[in-house]
Amino acid sequence: MPLGVLLTNRQYRSMPTHGIGRYRHLLPKALPKKKKDKIQAKQIKAPTATEFGVLNVCVSGYDLTLVEHYSQYIHNLCSHLDIKVDECYALPTKSTEVMVMQEQGTKMYLDGVLKTHERVVQISEMKATLFPILAEVLLKNQPEGVQLCIKQHTEADFQARFKTRPELQGLIAKINN
Amino acid sequence: MAAPFTRVYRPLWRIITTTTSNGRVRNVSYTRQQWSAQNVKTAGAAASPWALHGAVCVQRLPVVSQDRSPIEEKFMELMQQMELERSLLADHELKLLDDAARMSRKQEEDYDSDEEEDYKDKEIVTAQDLEDVWEQKLKEFQPAPRTQGVNQKDVSSSERCLADSLILLVKKDIGSQKLWLLPQIQWQMGETLRQTAERALASLPGADLKATFLGNAPCGFYKYKYPKDIQKEGTVGAKVFFFKAVLSSHKHLPLEKNSFAWVKKDELQDFLKPEYLKQVRRFIMAL
Repeated sequence: MPLGVLLTNRQYRSMPTHGIGRYRHLLPKALPKKKKDKIQAKQIKAPTATEFGVLNVCVSGYDLTLVEHYSQYIHNLCSHLDIKVDECYALPTKSTEVMVMQEQGTKMYLDGVLKTHERVVQISEMKATLFPILAEVLLKNQPEGVQLCIKQHTEADFQARFKTRPELQGLIAKINN
Repeated sequence: MAAPFTRVYRPLWRIITTTTSNGRVRNVSYTRQQWSAQNVKTAGAAASPWALHGAVCVQRLPVVSQDRSPIEEKFMELMQQMELERSLLADHELKLLDDAARMSRKQEEDYDSDEEEDYKDKEIVTAQDLEDVWEQKLKEFQPAPRTQGVNQKDVSSSERCLADSLILLVKKDIGSQKLWLLPQIQWQMGETLRQTAERALASLPGADLKATFLGNAPCGFYKYKYPKDIQKEGTVGAKVFFFKAVLSSHKHLPLEKNSFAWVKKDELQDFLKPEYLKQVRRFIMAL
């Protein structure tokens, strides 16, 4: 009887098929989900003698299909020419109401609503020698009714994308006062 | 696309790494001049035997889009038809159908207007009335004409061929001959080549052209040797650097017919000499 207790050879760990069903070690390490951090402004690179820093190519217009297709064309052109495209985003649509004055009377009535769409393609580290070529190609392929604007990216441009939080600002003002 | 640059590109990189940048220099041509100036200082009074010129390639960009070819027209119609067939009805079209159904119901004898829902304001203005008003307004609208009425062959007007981009050429006398060239002027000490090009544009007699320069880097290069009799000691010939600019003001002052020309890319060969044309063609895009 004591023999059975002594003869404890745990063969299963030395079996060649030990651990045959293991897969957990193959999955990617799932980090614990962290809370969303406040979106920091990326460091805006300064321009050097041969390269521009960060440029914003803004395409705006009333016709959405034209604006959208033109911005896609710019994006594809830049990636084809190996120009680094940081981001490609859209700014909120602005609606303009066209009011027409009535002939007999002082009241204005609504004639129509015009929506201005805007798309921005952000380019960084663009060589100064390549810039004139790119600018010329963009200008020559600009469709009718679409405005093109190339300007440098600033902190103010980045902040303009966020919505204002009036309650938070009111509370902060109250705390300070 | 990098082809027009291979000539100028390599020496520029060398300069940027060797000379220290001067403060606010974004100006590649500025450091180039620095390099040649340094050369002058080190080698004594041995100036380069080539005279430098700055030239400007002013382009009037196309104002209207190009006309479609027959195949493009047919394809466009086909795509529009397909899109129409696949689309859903808009709010306006639904209202039209509703109004038509209501009309037909009104004609019947056992019509009871109290049974209608949401009927209050639509009695006054139906969707069809709105559509008629809109059609009227559309008929009153006159779009601008596409050609502006200028003769397409009149080379001195900058309003010709609104669908293509035009380049400005001037007739200048070089040596003993009168030649058509891009506006160019000699470089002076102490200015960048881009400023030379701006000066070349401003010095054109009679024309008040405002142009935006696209960059500090030249887009092309041409060198020619002076004929033997003009070659003084030291100067072998001239090197011309071209800069690109886009016409910004559209003032049409009447330019003298024989000295200015606005030409398309394929008309360049009627005006320029073959060697010059070969270099100029490399950087002009006919898109």
